[in-house]
Amino acid sequence: MDLDRFGKERIQYAMIVAQGAGSRLASVMLSRRAVARHNGLPLPRRPLHHQSTRHIQTATVTDIDIARLASQPLHPLTLADLCKHGHPPLSEQALLNSANFTLSLLPARLAHRIQSLRSLPYIVVANPNVSKIHSNYVHSLSTLLPYASRRIETLKDEVAFTAVMADLVQTHNNTISILARGFLEARKYITALDVTRFLDEHLRARIGTRLIAEQHIALHYSSQPHNSLHTSSTPQNSREVEESSYIGVIDTHLKPAHIIRNCEAMVGEICELKYGVRPTIRMVGETETAIAHIPMHLEYILTELLKNSFRATIEAGMEREAIEITIAPAPAADQQTRTGEEQSRQTGGISNHDQGSVDSASGNTKRSSVNIRALADSTPGVTIRIRDRGGGISPENLKNLWEYGFTTFNEDEINEKTSSSSSSSYSSGGGGMDAVMAVGGPVGGSSLAGLGYGLPLGRAYAEYFGGGIAVQSLWGWGTDVYLSLRGVGRV
Amino acid sequence: MQTLPYSALTNEHISHVYEAYYRAFEIFRKVPEVRTLTDNDRFCEALQTTLKEHLTVIPRLAMGILEIQDSVSGDECDRFMNTLLRSRISRRVIAEQHLALNETFHSPWHFDGKKSAIAPEDEFVGEIFLKCNAKEIVEKCAQRASELTRKAYGPTVSLPKIVLQGHLDTTFPYIPSHLEYILGELLRNSLQAVVEQRSSAEPPPIEVLICEAAQHVIIRVSDQGGGIDREILPYLWSFAKGPRRMKRLKNLGKVPRLAATMQDLQLPPSHPESAAGSGEKFGSSLVSLSGRPPDLRLGIGLPMSRIYAEYWAGSLELHSLEGYGCDAFLQISRLGNKNEVLSTRATMDAV
Repeated sequence: MDLDRFGKERIQYAMIVAQGAGSRLASVMLSRRAVARHNGLPLPRRPLHHQSTRHIQTATVTDIDIARLASQPLHPLTLADLCKHGHPPLSEQALLNSANFTLSLLPARLAHRIQSLRSLPYIVVANPNVSKIHSNYVHSLSTLLPYASRRIETLKDEVAFTAVMADLVQTHNNTISILARGFLEARKYITALDVTRFLDEHLRARIGTRLIAEQHIALHYSSQPHNSLHTSSTPQNSREVEESSYIGVIDTHLKPAHIIRNCEAMVGEICELKYGVRPTIRMVGETETAIAHIPMHLEYILTELLKNSFRATIEAGMEREAIEITIAPAPAADQQTRTGEEQSRQTGGISNHDQGSVDSASGNTKRSSVNIRALADSTPGVTIRIRDRGGGISPENLKNLWEYGFTTFNEDEINEKTSSSSSSSYSSGGGGMDAVMAVGGPVGGSSLAGLGYGLPLGRAYAEYFGGGIAVQSLWGWGTDVYLSLRGVGRV
Repeated sequence: MQTLPYSALTNEHISHVYEAYYRAFEIFRKVPEVRTLTDNDRFCEALQTTLKEHLTVIPRLAMGILEIQDSVSGDECDRFMNTLLRSRISRRVIAEQHLALNETFHSPWHFDGKKSAIAPEDEFVGEIFLKCNAKEIVEKCAQRASELTRKAYGPTVSLPKIVLQGHLDTTFPYIPSHLEYILGELLRNSLQAVVEQRSSAEPPPIEVLICEAAQHVIIRVSDQGGGIDREILPYLWSFAKGPRRMKRLKNLGKVPRLAATMQDLQLPPSHPESAAGSGEKFGSSLVSLSGRPPDLRLGIGLPMSRIYAEYWAGSLELHSLEGYGCDAFLQISRLGNKNEVLSTRATMDAV
């Protein structure tokens, strides 16, 4: 093609937009729907992709509602809150309490998200992908408004409420990849720094919101009155009956080694598919360690880290060398006192703020205070160290390591197996787009890399309960990654 | 030092150091331009005396800092120490380099304690050893640290082996005494942690990895000594220690040759090679510090090492696996053309 790069981009952009929703103009001009949305007019009913939402009530969401809810302070959730309704199976009353508690938290949080999205530049939110996310949030809020004025008093209500929760979780499943695409397309109109700042806050808040919803759903499915009714919908359910170590989504006896092996298998499969070889893992330390944590989160983090390690190992030709993973349980501490936000120079390590060690790649961003606070006397945590021989991270890439959307994965280069990687996806417009289009699908899907979200998001998950990720690169040899997890508490 | 709060200087240690610097300033500003060899000789003598006199600066300052914790904030102390120590390294390097070159000039073939028989000019440029072999230095430091630890904990203690891996042929130009100090401190910390943790069976080895790239060399010291205590963690890199202040203060007073008067520079007979092996002839505060028994914990090893590492545009980082062990990463810039990292007037004045 002899179109210049700008022209090529416009065509690609237009193609995506056209794919997205047929009726919109294939340009960056505002569509009428978006205008309607911004003025708080009632949303036309969106065709959703599954049956059960047909019977979910929605109410009109006005700007006033949003403003009112967003002005409410956010209740800083603690894990005790999540677990206070008791060990499943829950009694009917406890279940209702859980539902009402969830109800008290979510609308405000959603409203905050909406406002935060709205404070992005107009033209960014006009991007079809970003605006889709925005309307998802408005939709979710609209499903919660009918409950705003009343408490959940009967089991029937509670079942309906749980359906709403399920809808919430389902709707927002692909937020990350869609947002990623949106920001990539709109990168001319917003700086990388602003994107990072927004995403940091948003994604961390998202972790919380989803956690609250998923916790209730899991508690619901594991509770006495419902066990007979529902058979196998949620993944937790089949385990619930045998393992009483679960409280909702929290597994009080989670073995990191177990998750590591699972992730190893999964990522290994992808590697074999893509590269024909599969690196191995050697586990040392105390492999039988168990902590109380959320399997879903840990799985995500480990998958991302292993993806990085495996890819680096293969690209460096070192797949015969096992990747060494050390599991180091922290000794039981009686009272863990956090000395506040004590960052020496940069963050890194166990409860990132306390440790004086330096992670030269991580930035100095302020964490939002909306996080869930770990219990004061947490069960001891664990540190997992992943050591690979993949050649390390080059000094130029180090500073971009924690940015959203930065990736060294480039489909074309992989085939040539060059050792130098492409620079930030923001500057290599075409290549970045290819990567995004090649990935598609939900996060954690079948591709090995490409979105550039693995590390920052993994760190968000780790830090959510007071842990962290630190990366130490030995350029020319390999990389050491230190994942520290604090137990989510004695329940 | 004049910009420190007045209360800091009422502390006897700090004021002693201040006086020493003042005197040095007076001496040197009176030295006329060096035109002849005799002038040079006189200059060198002045240099040497002053260097000797300032040997106690580090421990004294450290003690002073600990003592004034109540009146001056920890952050300010750290900033001050960093600035001062950086410029101190710079001055001493320049001074010692000149003295070394002077020495070479006068007696090119008689180099005290120089191990190899090759002409020194090939390998040493004054103090800088052009071909520091990472492996050799690590092994030497390992040996020394092991001996010291054994002495401190008794001959029956089982020491962990120190195992080297990686690119073992790496060479780079550096000042050996600096490197030995840093590695010594790191290895000593590791050894100590491992020994104090388990006194019984075969202790797990300490792994040292040497890795070279075009622009730098990275040395990773990895031990299984139980990691770093949570309560100390925030104060790891600070001269203003937290919970262990009092003990540190006491220990600092015991550092060999911290005494108010520095009569002579006899190194204890147990360290016949400490000055000689490193080509270091003027004795340095580093040597006296390195020679202390390992259970004399001063609490300045890490921040000092970091300053030395960063002086030549390198870095020192530490990651602790709580309950398991610790990894230290020392990065040394290889290219000889990196400028020294000082705290300039601009950064000092800036808030």
